[in-house]
Amino acid sequence: MKGYLIVLSLLLVAGSVAQAKEHPGKAYIEKNGYQGPSTCESKGCHPGTAKKFLGTVHWKHASPVANVDNVDPGKEYGMKNRIYTMCNGNDLVNDLKEIPPNPKTGKTKFTGCNTCHPGNHISDVGSTGKDAENAVDCLVCHSSAYDYRLRKPYKDEMGRVVMGQDRSVKAATAVGKPGVKNCMVCHEAAGGGVLLKRGFSFTKETDVHAAKKMVCVDCHGAKDHRIPTGYDPNNWAHDGVRVVCADCHGETPHKDEDNNRHSARVACQTCHIPRTGGALAKDFTKWTQGSDGFYEPTTLRMEANETMPVYAWYNRTVANTPAFIGPKGSRANQESRIYPFKVFEGKAFFDKKTGNLLSMDFAPPMATGDALAGVASAAKTLGIKEYEPVPGWQTIYFASTHLVTREKALTCFNCHSRNGVLNFRALGYTEKEEEKLTNASIYFDKVAAQQGEW
Amino acid sequence: MRKALKIKAAAAMTVLILLLAGGVAMAEEMKMVGDVVKIEIAGPDAKTAKATLKDTKTGKLVTVIVNDDLTLDKFKDHRIVVGDEIRCKYEVQDGKNVSKYFRKTAGC
Repeated sequence: MKGYLIVLSLLLVAGSVAQAKEHPGKAYIEKNGYQGPSTCESKGCHPGTAKKFLGTVHWKHASPVANVDNVDPGKEYGMKNRIYTMCNGNDLVNDLKEIPPNPKTGKTKFTGCNTCHPGNHISDVGSTGKDAENAVDCLVCHSSAYDYRLRKPYKDEMGRVVMGQDRSVKAATAVGKPGVKNCMVCHEAAGGGVLLKRGFSFTKETDVHAAKKMVCVDCHGAKDHRIPTGYDPNNWAHDGVRVVCADCHGETPHKDEDNNRHSARVACQTCHIPRTGGALAKDFTKWTQGSDGFYEPTTLRMEANETMPVYAWYNRTVANTPAFIGPKGSRANQESRIYPFKVFEGKAFFDKKTGNLLSMDFAPPMATGDALAGVASAAKTLGIKEYEPVPGWQTIYFASTHLVTREKALTCFNCHSRNGVLNFRALGYTEKEEEKLTNASIYFDKVAAQQGEW
Repeated sequence: MRKALKIKAAAAMTVLILLLAGGVAMAEEMKMVGDVVKIEIAGPDAKTAKATLKDTKTGKLVTVIVNDDLTLDKFKDHRIVVGDEIRCKYEVQDGKNVSKYFRKTAGC
């Protein structure tokens, strides 16, 4: 039954791609040009969409957060205002700007956390009203012919930093459902470089869904631009809609009932995403000068699939302290399942007075390497007058929910053996239980029978 | 007995030759960081492209052949353009530098 559902989904996906190629309104746009959202909303098409879009996480970069410790339930959180050691800045303190000239080269450049915001920066993160509606860059997500040379920051005649957009007829007449590249334009470069933050690539070589020609929005399918997200302990902002593997695959997707039994306490990702990758660790207290003369936080990089995840119980609620952001849960808690996580360690400055992590404006250290100047600039923006910066470490557990494999999925002996990937003692099992769980007797007869079928 | 020894020696020699041949065939991987100074790509259906990078350490110009679809697509829609700084790995195959890794150094 599940197989039929998947085939049906793929057929629907194929159908929607075909429809996207024949998006109506081409003649109208060719005749009248493309003026942005007002064109998308003209002729009775997509009415009110831009206004609704202003209420989504992609525009606000924040939302109420209900499953995380130590947050104010009355406030919204996201990359607009969060601080953690993968991204020590945020939209507020590290606003898109031209950084000071590098003393050696005299060169400057534009940078900021909100570079990926789909507005024009004049109408920025969380802005509202007609100007904001008109500033929405529909095509950066919806056009397959977008000229990314035009999406660059520049200074206008008033000295304001503006993010350019491609509003050409060519781009506007090639619209449809977002493809992988539309999403990855922003999402692959998060955290300071290509595939650093979450450490996955979405290609036919690295993910079984990509190999089936699926695109991001086939799973993260939006309604009114509210895009479903998973339960990454470090991705707090959400549009109130979620996506999990079982939405398509069901809770018992295997032919083998032993495998299906596991799904009660073991997440799909644990067996089907055996590797992770990306940045291992970063040091925001020491910036390294690159060959272009600019500085970047010192970063240890790995490729997708190059590192092993760590496994922990997770009940989809999140521990959040200055030293740790990660999963809560336990063996005893029946809501918890064992999930794989990408572990990241980041060093940055903490306030000795409060113990809290301090945020950083990247412009000063990017130009000169002076990390404390970045902390001072961020403190000024936030109105923090007294603080005592001391370096310290924070550990973050990122969800590992891509790089899905069928062929290389973990099998019985990958976990249930002395050198298996699961640390049963750390997961709350007794020494006796561990001995039993790591013995071949659990699966010996079954695997022997399977081998006999050859 | 002697015949068996001869067979074993011949087998060992074969393995050695294969290993050596494999070693010779293995191309050396080169790494560099450089700015894109030129991209040559023949239209939207191109299956290969040439990118010339200026090595930021040596100033030397290095031309690499790019064959992977992801990077070609980034050339086509200008997600990678002249002036971008690239971290590149390539192998020398038949006298040509063939890209194995071609990514912008920058992120947000």
